[in-house]
Amino acid sequence: MRVCCGLTRHLELARRPDLYGTPVIVGRWDEHVVAASEETLRFGVETGMALRQAEHLCPQATFVLPDEEATARIRELVSAALYDLAPTVEVRDEGIAWLDISGVATAGQSIRAARHRLLKAIGREPRLGLAPGPFSARLAAARARPGRLMRVADAREFLAPLPSRELPLDAEQLERLDLLGLRTLGAVATIGPRELESQLGRDGRHAALLARGLEPDQLVPWQPPLFTCAHRQFADPVEDREALLFVARALCGDLAEELGLRGAGAKHVRVRLLFESSDEEARESVVRHALSSTAELFGLIGSWIKEWQPHAPITELWIELPVLEAAGRRQLRLWAGGDGTSEEVIAAMERIQERFGDAVVHKPKPAFVSSPIPSERFA
Amino acid sequence: MQAQNLQLDGAIDAIRLRFGSHALTRAAELPPAQPWPSHTPIDAMTGIGGLPRGRLSLLTGSGTCGKLSLALALLAHATHEFAHATVIDGGGFDPWNLLPFSPELSALTVVRAPAPEIAGEAAAALARAGAGFILLMSELPEHWLGPLESGANRSGTVVVGVVDAPGRALAHASSFSLALSRTEWVWERGQLIGIRVMARCLKNRVAPPLGETALEIRYPLGARPLSDHLVHVIEARVDVQEVAPCASAVV
Repeated sequence: MRVCCGLTRHLELARRPDLYGTPVIVGRWDEHVVAASEETLRFGVETGMALRQAEHLCPQATFVLPDEEATARIRELVSAALYDLAPTVEVRDEGIAWLDISGVATAGQSIRAARHRLLKAIGREPRLGLAPGPFSARLAAARARPGRLMRVADAREFLAPLPSRELPLDAEQLERLDLLGLRTLGAVATIGPRELESQLGRDGRHAALLARGLEPDQLVPWQPPLFTCAHRQFADPVEDREALLFVARALCGDLAEELGLRGAGAKHVRVRLLFESSDEEARESVVRHALSSTAELFGLIGSWIKEWQPHAPITELWIELPVLEAAGRRQLRLWAGGDGTSEEVIAAMERIQERFGDAVVHKPKPAFVSSPIPSERFA
Repeated sequence: MQAQNLQLDGAIDAIRLRFGSHALTRAAELPPAQPWPSHTPIDAMTGIGGLPRGRLSLLTGSGTCGKLSLALALLAHATHEFAHATVIDGGGFDPWNLLPFSPELSALTVVRAPAPEIAGEAAAALARAGAGFILLMSELPEHWLGPLESGANRSGTVVVGVVDAPGRALAHASSFSLALSRTEWVWERGQLIGIRVMARCLKNRVAPPLGETALEIRYPLGARPLSDHLVHVIEARVDVQEVAPCASAVV
């Protein structure tokens, strides 16, 4: 396992790029600090401390209320941006992005692209770490300079001199470790998991394994959402087919952009036309080959609209993609040039078959080539 | 001559003034089409060293004049070079006829279009998607020629049409048109082995038009390795009439 960790600002802080460079504390009154910018660290502000205490320590900071929904949107955006760089991607609100690049042929390119995309999404150069697991990769990234990568070959050797407070334990457990004289990860690693479990409970066992560089934690892979749609409401009901095609193409473009961002393809397409009388007509199809580009989507939807005979003027057009596929193949398309064209040709042939029947497209395979009967020569 | 050139320049300026600068372009000023070397004598006749990518090329001629043999040789070659070589068949294409040219059948797809409308839609969709080579075996409806042209232009698809006599729309849409006419049969030891044809460039929008040449097209007598199939089309006698740099314009 080779994990690359990109460490950037807490996503709550990334919501307000206008405050970069100034001390910012995110949290609710009477609660704990959710995130604090680097500029507040020298005043002693830490994540998790009471907000009142943080205010005493750094009164000049800008205090921002947390917004979980906006943060989740940023997390989805960052996850989607990194999704096509590695098979497994996990992004956390703390500003940690992990990419499992085991088996990736062009790992160097993926790491470089991850750096650029994190910079574009967050607005700050990420610190990068490459190590055998997520824990050591995160610690390596924390020790790298912004925009630079720290590589770790041997996790145990790298972790040994680091302070034991890097372990994911609460304050009381860390104090106990201190009382036991286990002040570095190397010292914790000398204690067996069972012994530490008897002192600190299950967390102790987990901490011992982490300190030994055994990386007991697995990444939780981000999955692209399974549904998306786009629609347009017309100010005046539309009867003109050309206008409908024009709007459909624009919607297909929007959907293709979104699919590209998510690294996904659509296996199921549904078009709904809403009429003035508030009733609707719909047409849908399950396609064998996932559609993802504007040309692919509009190739199918445009042909439907061209032959559609709506019974009344249209007030709304909906294009829904209820089933998106996790785009493993689309990820490959980014790595191997030219595959995309081949896929699009196959998709075009499938659309022709869908419209005019399977027999229209034929791939000749020799059967009895020497047969005097022409129909027997090819399967 | 100088006066004629001045008159021509004046006419061109008048058209540009009335319809805009893009209404008329000198052939020499058009962006050069990328060639796809077919390794047949046709390459020399296009003026760019191969069939133009993203354009429609036509092989025309009435009766037995070798246009289908030439097209099959091009198709077989394309199956080795492109992931997808497609035949849009209006009826009558038999893959068995292609076997002597040693094609790569896994790359070949035949679209059997019982109606010209289906042929048009299939050709335009495949050109837009980026199929490497499309062989049209029949005329297409006029309203599909525009999408076919634009789709092929964007993806760089080589489109070759085989027709006896192209309609006005197809002739207008083509960028390169070659007319073949049989001059004599070729016999060897009492067996018909091919034909001699005169190939004449009727239209060329990718380079200054070249004249004509004689070709000897030998009928394949059996499956041969790929290295041999190119010998089926031989340039018997090159007689290219050089034309002065193009003074014509494409509207």
